[in-house]
Amino acid sequence: MADRKVCILGGGMSKWGVREASIIDMAQEAAKDCFDDVPALKKEDVDGLLFASSYCGRSAFQVNIAPVIAERTGIKPTSICTRVDTLCAGGSSGIILATGLIKAGMADVVMVSGGEKLYTPQRWETYYSEMASIDHDWEGAQGIGLPPPFFSMTAQEHMKRYGTTKEQLSAVSVKNRRNGSTNPKGHFQKAVTMEEVMAARAVVPPLGLFDCTPITDGCAAVILTHEDKAKELSDKPLVYVRGTAQATLHSMSMNWPGEDLADWVHLRIAAKKAYERARVGPEDIDVAQTHDCFTISEIIEMEDLGFCKKGEGGPFVESGQSDFGGKIPVNTDGGLLACGHPFGGTGIRQACEITMQLQGRAIRQVESAKIGLTHNLSGLNVEHTILIYGREP
Amino acid sequence: MPVPGLPILEGLYPSTMDLYPFEAKEFNRIHPFYENLRQNRFTTTKCKKCGNTPFPPRVVCPKCNSDDLEWVDLPTQGKVLRFTEEVAGVPLGFEAPLIHALVDLGEGRKFISRVINCKEGQLKEGDTVKLAVFEVPPMIIEKRGGVMEESPRVFFAFEPVK
Ligand SMILES: [Zn+2]
Repeated sequence: MADRKVCILGGGMSKWGVREASIIDMAQEAAKDCFDDVPALKKEDVDGLLFASSYCGRSAFQVNIAPVIAERTGIKPTSICTRVDTLCAGGSSGIILATGLIKAGMADVVMVSGGEKLYTPQRWETYYSEMASIDHDWEGAQGIGLPPPFFSMTAQEHMKRYGTTKEQLSAVSVKNRRNGSTNPKGHFQKAVTMEEVMAARAVVPPLGLFDCTPITDGCAAVILTHEDKAKELSDKPLVYVRGTAQATLHSMSMNWPGEDLADWVHLRIAAKKAYERARVGPEDIDVAQTHDCFTISEIIEMEDLGFCKKGEGGPFVESGQSDFGGKIPVNTDGGLLACGHPFGGTGIRQACEITMQLQGRAIRQVESAKIGLTHNLSGLNVEHTILIYGREP
Repeated sequence: MPVPGLPILEGLYPSTMDLYPFEAKEFNRIHPFYENLRQNRFTTTKCKKCGNTPFPPRVVCPKCNSDDLEWVDLPTQGKVLRFTEEVAGVPLGFEAPLIHALVDLGEGRKFISRVINCKEGQLKEGDTVKLAVFEVPPMIIEKRGGVMEESPRVFFAFEPVK
């Protein structure tokens, strides 16, 4: 059998934020929103479920969560039903795996769902669990959680080496919080001004409150299938998964692959591969959702994804090149800074936004977008994951 | 005192909540690292076949797959390249200011370590720091017949050279 072309039909999200709901509740909300988005899809069409979550084993005391989610949402998978964990990139990993399974004919219609319940009755547990989400024995035990200190050092490096300014960091936050202000599913709907961002309390200097993604509860879900089934189930323009890559070169800081912390060689390797597989280059991307866990991240991503030259990420975002009307609109739904970051859910939230952008029905639409990109970094910047979607296969 | 919601845990040790590695020889094969640490030595494994000396220590050489490895010493002093002082949101088990530094140990080895015995505002880029070893709470291991044994542990950070 020849490789099948794989399409993403649509998706949905639970409300993200500080939720009075369990992960099992929010997975049901996301699945409902996803089924509502693809009205012709019946539960019995779905023969695969991949559920991306990292903290369910700690903050919900539930491992092997996929059968629980399948049962609660009324799905009876017969091809694959499993959990995926790549921390911040778990949802994207799920989409990559679903694509491979569908392409090979090992599954037909797969729901990729995921998210986290991060708020526990006592907040210390969330921060405590973070130390298990990096290389625990060597760096977690040093009190490094999910990493304001790490990204503070990254920002210092970029500022010293390239002259990047605090205003340029802030410009990312102002743009993404404004984009998120019209996204009803995200964590924050309040836009922030440059003055507010600059004056916000420090978390780990130079990073302030608005430079960091918040701690967020939430789930998201998307549906993938092969081209023939997609035509049968959807009346919307088809969106294809064109190319993907995931690069991991190290796990702890002593084995950092770049020249310094602002040199993300693993991102460049993943980008090169994803572009080759998608048969496009950075200049072909019309809209992108990149991993803005911290403002500095989005600046370095602009460089190492090839949207601007190395070292020019600061001026690129400050001059509006990553905004609507610029070279490439980035994080059009608000990104992590406005939507929040329930780890396993983030890649799926990005896929929902790119799908809507390419189908021409996004809340903040990039005019005639044909090719879109999503990107995640995970853990202590140990992994980069990229997916490229297009209106053509 | 019973823990609310977890009365069954009274006097018990939940290892899934343990911040520090399971250092005891019963639970890992790189326990000499911790035994060396106790002697104020910062060590790793070197492959006798190909010479590869990765950190953290391994039980099999990741380059050539040989399992014929020996323990060698790494430098115990380094230079601070970058550092951060976390004053709020410090994880349980740590005190503010929680200071971390990107330390250059030489030999092409740079890594992030906690810096202790250091006041906020004291550290500067270029400062020399040295290995600092300290006691951490023991692991509790259940032995035959339900006997509970305490397995002592140490861990490491770096500290300013006065
Ligand atoms: Zn070897």
